[in-house]
Amino acid sequence: MRKSTFLSILVILVLIPLTLFLGTQVKGRWYYLISTMIIIELMLPFFFRFEARRPQARELVILTVMAALAAVSRVVFAFSPYLKTITGIIMITGIAFGPEAGFLTGAVAAFASNFFFSQGPWTPWQMFAYGFGGFLAGMIFHRRRNWAKPYILAPFGFFSILFVIGPLLDSCTVFTMLSKFTVKNVLAVYAAGIGYNATHGIGAALTLFFVSGPLLRKLDRLQSKYGILEL
Amino acid sequence: MKRDAFSGCHPAVNFLFFVGAIGFGATIQHPAYCAAGFVCAAIYYLLLKGRGGLKMLGSVTVLFTLMSLINPLLNKSGKHVLFTWFGRPYTLEALYYGMALGAIMAVMLLWFGCYSIVLTSDKFTALFGKVIPALSLLLVMVLRMIPAFTRKAKQILLARRAIGKGPSQTNRLTEKAKDGTTVLSALTDWALEGSIITADSMRSRGYGTGKRTNFQIYTLTRRDIFLLILILLLEIAVLLLGGTNASFTPRLKIDPIGFGLPVYCGFLLLPTLLQIKEVIAWRISRSRI
Repeated sequence: MRKSTFLSILVILVLIPLTLFLGTQVKGRWYYLISTMIIIELMLPFFFRFEARRPQARELVILTVMAALAAVSRVVFAFSPYLKTITGIIMITGIAFGPEAGFLTGAVAAFASNFFFSQGPWTPWQMFAYGFGGFLAGMIFHRRRNWAKPYILAPFGFFSILFVIGPLLDSCTVFTMLSKFTVKNVLAVYAAGIGYNATHGIGAALTLFFVSGPLLRKLDRLQSKYGILEL
Repeated sequence: MKRDAFSGCHPAVNFLFFVGAIGFGATIQHPAYCAAGFVCAAIYYLLLKGRGGLKMLGSVTVLFTLMSLINPLLNKSGKHVLFTWFGRPYTLEALYYGMALGAIMAVMLLWFGCYSIVLTSDKFTALFGKVIPALSLLLVMVLRMIPAFTRKAKQILLARRAIGKGPSQTNRLTEKAKDGTTVLSALTDWALEGSIITADSMRSRGYGTGKRTNFQIYTLTRRDIFLLILILLLEIAVLLLGGTNASFTPRLKIDPIGFGLPVYCGFLLLPTLLQIKEVIAWRISRSRI
């Protein structure tokens, strides 16, 4: 068995249950700490695999460029401050280069852009949520490229943010804000996030609708010309 | 930027301290500990930021107030009913609980603010470069590219403006979006082309042929080792001394304040004390001249 696979299995089967067990032993407010630790542990297998693969220079640089582009893309669309483009670009990366590359791009883009704003309790959650966005898009569309049409991608982006990525980001709020975990309270927090998630989703849908075509063409061209990221 | 004494320590010292400060800050809901955490974090934050830190302190206080007031609306258990609100009791216990939660949030935000200033990206990669070489290289490169891409994006936008295609030169939203796409395309082209050149250059300089070393200007001095041990001992002491339990609803149950609190304060004030010591030492050595 490869070392990275072994480590990943170790994380899932030992580390996460251990964290959960420790969580019940901690006196005080353990929800945020334990949930965040688990989020970080869930990211570890991706990081292990990437490290174990010893990525080639080209692969590394392409991922870098895509993560930086995702973080910067906001500047281009600065005319509308509500338009969040980062998730859309991450999804496009996932579609072009596969789920793993999508995850890494998302996680790194979130982490890096927080160096320019501020790291906060939300950092691991953002890393995981954005990474998962890239992963999801890669899972669905990477091997089925004929599905990756703007009019399919746009609703995909919108709904995946509304139902998966947005709630993931809101979970951080759930664990820091609530004093009593009843179904009603938790739903109230998620409901409060719907408006924000919808604007986020619209931003991603617009990005996917307008940008996915030209960007995917460029990335495909890059791959066929230089043969990079053949995973 | 002027660096304070604690920022001058080895990244491992910084990291270990923040793991403790944020970890305790996020979990302990004992009011005395929360208050102590808030005061210590605020002092250090102001020390780092100077007058500019007051704004953050203000917004954190607003958040604290909001969270305190909102909690009783979501949690109605508790004995002392202050008033009823749409038929739901608004209790004193839940208000206290909200205050604790607000304080936890404020403490976390302040410590994370300090973390962002102290543990800069170069320190992060110096610390983790050995464990995750590829990822930390990825991070360093992204951090370099973000400002570079922003600059380039602004250049492209400016050039588009010159031919009457700037985002402010049209009112139609679809046109704006299309123009934005064009700019992003141009930026992507430029970036991807650069990336191939960078990658080839990296390869020809021997990337991947041997072990990667990291930019390291931090050496573990004797003071750093002393601080590492001190921080570790203080963290363990806070854990072992206990007395940090507090539950609010349905009835208040708060541990009496023991020896844990002064130890906790001492731990949290460590960076501030270090700075004070530095300032005094500097004064003394200057007055000797």
